[in-house]
Amino acid sequence: MTSLLEVSDLRVTHRGSPIVDGVDFKLDRGEALGLAGESGCGKTTTALALMKLLPPALTQSGSMTLRPEGAEEPINLGRRTEAGMQLVRWRHISLVFQGAMNSLDPVQRIDAQMAEAIRLHSDQKGGKEVGRKISDLFKTVGLPVSAARRYPHELSGGQRQRVMIALALCCDPSLVIADEPTTALDVVMQAQVLQLLERLRESLGLALILISHDLGVLGETCDRIAIMYAGRIVETGPVRSVFDDPQHPYTKLLLDSLPVIGGERGLAPPIPGAPPDPGSPPEGCRFRPRCPYAKDECLADPPLREVAKGQSAACHFAPWKKWPDPRAAAAAGKKA
Amino acid sequence: MATAEPNGSLIEVRDLAIEFSARGQLARAVDGVSLDWRRGEILGVVGESGCGKSTLARAMLALVEPAAGSVSLRGQVVSGEGAGGRKGVSDLRRRVQMIFQDPYQTLNPRQRVEAIVTEPLRVQGVPEGKHDERVRRALDDVGLDPERYLGRYPHQLSGGQRQRVAIAAALVLEPEGLICDEPVSMLDASVRAQILSVLLELQKRRVLALVFITHDLSLAWSLCDRIAVMYLGRIVEQGSAVDVIERPKHPYTKALVNAVPVPEAGGGGRRELLGGELPDPTAIPPGCRFHPRCPRRFEPCDSVDPSLMPAGGRDQLAACLLHDPAQSSAAKAAADA
Repeated sequence: MTSLLEVSDLRVTHRGSPIVDGVDFKLDRGEALGLAGESGCGKTTTALALMKLLPPALTQSGSMTLRPEGAEEPINLGRRTEAGMQLVRWRHISLVFQGAMNSLDPVQRIDAQMAEAIRLHSDQKGGKEVGRKISDLFKTVGLPVSAARRYPHELSGGQRQRVMIALALCCDPSLVIADEPTTALDVVMQAQVLQLLERLRESLGLALILISHDLGVLGETCDRIAIMYAGRIVETGPVRSVFDDPQHPYTKLLLDSLPVIGGERGLAPPIPGAPPDPGSPPEGCRFRPRCPYAKDECLADPPLREVAKGQSAACHFAPWKKWPDPRAAAAAGKKA
Repeated sequence: MATAEPNGSLIEVRDLAIEFSARGQLARAVDGVSLDWRRGEILGVVGESGCGKSTLARAMLALVEPAAGSVSLRGQVVSGEGAGGRKGVSDLRRRVQMIFQDPYQTLNPRQRVEAIVTEPLRVQGVPEGKHDERVRRALDDVGLDPERYLGRYPHQLSGGQRQRVAIAAALVLEPEGLICDEPVSMLDASVRAQILSVLLELQKRRVLALVFITHDLSLAWSLCDRIAVMYLGRIVEQGSAVDVIERPKHPYTKALVNAVPVPEAGGGGRRELLGGELPDPTAIPPGCRFHPRCPRRFEPCDSVDPSLMPAGGRDQLAACLLHDPAQSSAAKAAADA
């Protein structure tokens, strides 16, 4: 089976500084991929690059091929012009932005805003047709149809986020990219929205790219996960393998820093330091200055390579059979 | 003034009610809350947005006027019924400080770090000769080198550094208590761990009592000594962090714990979730305020308003009729079915 989306050597630069620095991944039909990493690691920029929605100050290169259901030929997103991209956005790929629920127009009723989007982007133009589409979409995302006649401020944050998801689905895309879709919501609402995404994926065969800094959120929703650090994917693989048996020190330390109810109480030692400035990335492995396991070999750039079945890591020392205590390793590294 | 014993209360909240008027109607944001915050203790207050946890925090600093009930500092009523006047409030605000979720909004963008951290000293009338030394010590305590940071403006700092400055400004008065309203919810995993370790380090070294207001249950579970769970203006469960989160006794706490995403692959999508949303505080449901959403409600839940009663672990309390010995076991069994 050919994949729905294939991205290879995606690069985004800002005045010569790499923001996204050679990212490759594939996404199958109906698959959910999680993109994780700290602010500034390039995960949102990657999403915007897929939609070619980057601000003009950023330049992108690399190939991105989309093979939507029913399309005769693959769509080469990399080569598409702006006019060509307008036929792709919403119809094939749609994006739910971070904080999108706050981008609804406060002085228009919800149904009026949805009708406008549906008329602009789909083939449905007639008033009745559009009205039916709106009530269908509302049912799909679990909103009462009466909510359509309301203004955004009359809905809760969770309900507004459902409206945004409904909008993203209005042209039956094969891929939805959701950037931190639950970050502004609290636990109960977050769980409801995640459950909705999961259900939509099953019932509509939707592929999903979910971007979040919250590994818990990704673990619940995704099949595969890619961990980004300083513009690169440092580890990728099936969620279960990556969580159970991480193969990059950054993934390992990130997972260890998460409190898990029922596990060990107290605070795990934080990862020291901060991610590098994209204008002056460190030589060799980008994580080297913060890595307790760094050695001289790490001055050479580690490629992302398969280290276990379906799991790849960009670390010279992978596969890791056992993780030495990070504090002891860091102390030994300093002495050497 | 009576000096409290080492394990006594720093702040006692008794039968507190806070009202706001919303669109011409009266909303009770806090509706009969009693809570002790002990000296040196880390207390977690958890609940959904709108449950009243931030309002409770503001009331603990006498930033809102209670409609009923009182707030005491080491046994002296400082706010509400029987309050002693301005002196008590000023004493409270010197001994207890607060930091907020968004350090982008709480720091004055036109002030340098030095002025931001000095301001509390000026407001509280600390002699000027001591300012420099105390400001430097506060910055040292939060892990910012005074030489490098005193002259900077907030926009020259990262999110984590801003939150450190906010903590330094809160600590410069050497308070006994620090109320942290979602202190790390806007920060990334590695920065958040750094900020939390600064707070915990200070808590141990200075015997600082902390309140964590948060909707992040795993955070509350891992760091707090005790936890109070709020729902629609009430505390519905309280007890030790381990009891409340690992063995919750109120159906609402159970639902909250269930909703926490766990960094383990799959499965989460299948569990049972709480439906609906927090009701409007201008229209609080009769009886148990949680009953319309409760998966285990039974006969009298829509008419009897339960108060906190012993349930489960030592000092664990839950406001739920399931734990009321007066309710017939037949009704409870029906709720279980």
